[in-house]
Amino acid sequence: MNNRLKVLRAGRDWSQADLAAALGVSRQTVNALETGRYDPSLPLAFKIARVFEQPIESIFSDAGA
Amino acid sequence: MTSRSESSTQPLAVKIIGCLALGAVGALMGYGLSNALEGNVDAPWSDSLALAMAVAVLTIAGLSAITLALRPSTIPRGCGVLQIIVFLLAGLLFLAPMYAPVFAAPDIVFGGVVLILAVQTVANVMLWRAADEMLRQVMSETGAMAFWALQTALFLYAAAERLGLIDTISGWGLIGIVMAVYLIASIVAAARRGIA
Repeated sequence: MNNRLKVLRAGRDWSQADLAAALGVSRQTVNALETGRYDPSLPLAFKIARVFEQPIESIFSDAGA
Repeated sequence: MTSRSESSTQPLAVKIIGCLALGAVGALMGYGLSNALEGNVDAPWSDSLALAMAVAVLTIAGLSAITLALRPSTIPRGCGVLQIIVFLLAGLLFLAPMYAPVFAAPDIVFGGVVLILAVQTVANVMLWRAADEMLRQVMSETGAMAFWALQTALFLYAAAERLGLIDTISGWGLIGIVMAVYLIASIVAAARRGIA
């Protein structure tokens, strides 16, 4: 799965730690999400969407699509 | 793009202190392990493996403590101290049956092992509850990989033993193998998420 997390985070000038704190996860998890090493659970994906105030489908996309 | 990285914000002095601390831990562990192995040339392989596992988990505990002190943001919140406690207790569990009988009766030592195991189990449950979803997935994958590898190896070993092709391995030897496989599985699972 592809995502725009790094771009969205950079747009707000947040560090990975800032985003991790907002999501209630570790910085390692944010790093793994941004590098495509981890796909979030549905609850975490909704949380990410709420934090960035965007629909999930504008943040995540199917890599095969 | 102006994304910031945690690692780039570390002062040079902190990086140097971290490198020196890691080097010191590695040197101490290497010195201790070589001394222990040289002093026990007649020890069974199961004791040597248990000692190696104890040194490994205690080294990981030391490295985790250094990382927690120097770069707390790289440790999942609430997990750092618990991870260190779990690794320290695992090291004690491997060392106690070999070295504690010098100081106490075997039944007393066994009682201590049971107590340590109970505390470590509680710490493991607390660690699971404190972990975020990715760390929980790493733990789950570690368990799955270790189980698959060990049950495959155990079946082959059991069949060979039943056929009289190999000698029986003691329970002490088996638990050393289990820990070795678990450590390798945890490294693989963590590396897949970019943690190791």
